[in-house]
Amino acid sequence: MTDHQWDLLKKTIKGEVSDPLPIAFIIDSPWLPNWYGVKILDYFSSDELWLKANLKAITDFPDVMFLPGFWSEFGMCTEPSAFGARGTFPPNEFPFAHKVIRSADDVDELPTPDPRIDGLLPFMLNRLKLAQPKIEAAGHKIRFAVARGPLNIASYLMGSTEFLTMMMMQPDKAELLIRKITDYLKEWLHLQMETFPTIDGIFLLDDIIGFMGAEQFRQFGLPYFKELFDANVSVRFLHNDAPCRESAPFLPEMGVNLFNMGFEVSLNELRQLTRNKVALVGNLPPRDVLASGTPEVVAAKTRELVGSLKDKSMVIMSCGGGMPPGVSTENIKSFLEAVRKH
Amino acid sequence: MNEIVEQIGVCIERGKVNQSSPYPNDMKGQVGADELAKEALGAGVGPDEILSACNDGMKRIGERFSRSEVFVPELLMAAKAMNAVMAHLKPYFQTGAVKAKGKLVIGTVAGDLHDIGKNLVAMVVEGNGWEVVDLGVDVKAQKFIDAINKNPGCVVGLSALLTTTMANMMKIVKDIKSQLPSTRVIVGGAPLTQKAADEMGADGYAPNPQGAVAFLNSAGQV
Repeated sequence: MTDHQWDLLKKTIKGEVSDPLPIAFIIDSPWLPNWYGVKILDYFSSDELWLKANLKAITDFPDVMFLPGFWSEFGMCTEPSAFGARGTFPPNEFPFAHKVIRSADDVDELPTPDPRIDGLLPFMLNRLKLAQPKIEAAGHKIRFAVARGPLNIASYLMGSTEFLTMMMMQPDKAELLIRKITDYLKEWLHLQMETFPTIDGIFLLDDIIGFMGAEQFRQFGLPYFKELFDANVSVRFLHNDAPCRESAPFLPEMGVNLFNMGFEVSLNELRQLTRNKVALVGNLPPRDVLASGTPEVVAAKTRELVGSLKDKSMVIMSCGGGMPPGVSTENIKSFLEAVRKH
Repeated sequence: MNEIVEQIGVCIERGKVNQSSPYPNDMKGQVGADELAKEALGAGVGPDEILSACNDGMKRIGERFSRSEVFVPELLMAAKAMNAVMAHLKPYFQTGAVKAKGKLVIGTVAGDLHDIGKNLVAMVVEGNGWEVVDLGVDVKAQKFIDAINKNPGCVVGLSALLTTTMANMMKIVKDIKSQLPSTRVIVGGAPLTQKAADEMGADGYAPNPQGAVAFLNSAGQV
């Protein structure tokens, strides 16, 4: 993100209203490689293609804040890889990590990884480091330390059904697992911040939050997210595009000041749920409208979305969730135009 | 007799699997669905009556889930308790004493390892008297097609949690429909909508396990 974009983001979080409304999209491997015209595996395995794809996005859409911006990642394999999870990388499909925990007893033996040397993390960090001069030459800076959240990683390491069942049957083991993952994530986030002093934000992605009730989240989520967001940064950004009515009231207590949600809850309702303390990034339906709609439909639905806002402060226009596969340049332009003209 | 049957329903609703299960806290140490089902069958209660109690329990927890009084973890525990009962009832399905309503082949689509939705639907559907063939997660089109050929007349359920795997779901529906056009396909999962299901060419969409049961019961068995 450029200095101007970063300032705009911070001002929006503080409640300043911009005209036109700011626009942002979370972009990563589900959308970027195919939009750029390369296979997902090529995007992962070629640092050059990864950089070119990201540079093209910022060049084609200079007014869009891409979050986190130049995200060096290997899909869902990124963080679980450090625990020894086998990653599967089909040529042009989304990679995924295999389970490493077969039963609750395995949790005791699970080692805490070293993000400096374990799994794909050194590759992820080094790619970003090597690209840093070119990113900065393009007027952008690395702004976010990024990780998937502890509940999301736990569900990859164990299987989501098994993890959620363990929460009910053996809550002490579930908490031990989340503790280990949180400790690892704290180190990982810290390492990113140490490597790139321009980082002034933390971005966590966790949709397993959405499967829990408030009481469950209070026990198994809240304390850990509080720790992870407890850093001296300006932006504390959470993505959860699964249901969020139960967890949204906790966002201010978690330290979150920027939230990207699914499209099923309106921005007006979320504003109430978060007591107007969290800036919102959303929430046009990503698949049905942004990816599958015609440019005219995208424009109409975007106008509807902007028009529905009772208060235009602390809002960044985007889709609900990350940019889905298959969104065309035309549809993004249509979205931008509709926001600008409103 | 009625008391045991009612208790089975309560155990399903509360997710009390067996005596050693520490969940739920206020039922710690009490017998669960597992022991009660065994006891009921031993006392001569008909398997149909037990199955009906299970359905009532699942219906109640499903309604509470719809009202956001309980969440996925509680629903998973209820389904686990239901499974404990089904283990005792399985022989009756096999002998024909209890007739399955039909067969559901279910799996999470290729590229997606999320099993919550798929498992919940499988367990609830099974508890409602359907036979379930669970293909697991990350299932490609060919595996579904092979399973359909092995289970003629089955209904197919596709699950996805990730928005990113919706494209795979669409491809699988298309492949199934092109090779085995009479197969009925139902889809579900967090990123799905009725509109998306229609676009894919699926026959049904269910936002929750109860919706899947309703679809299956109305679809019947070929």
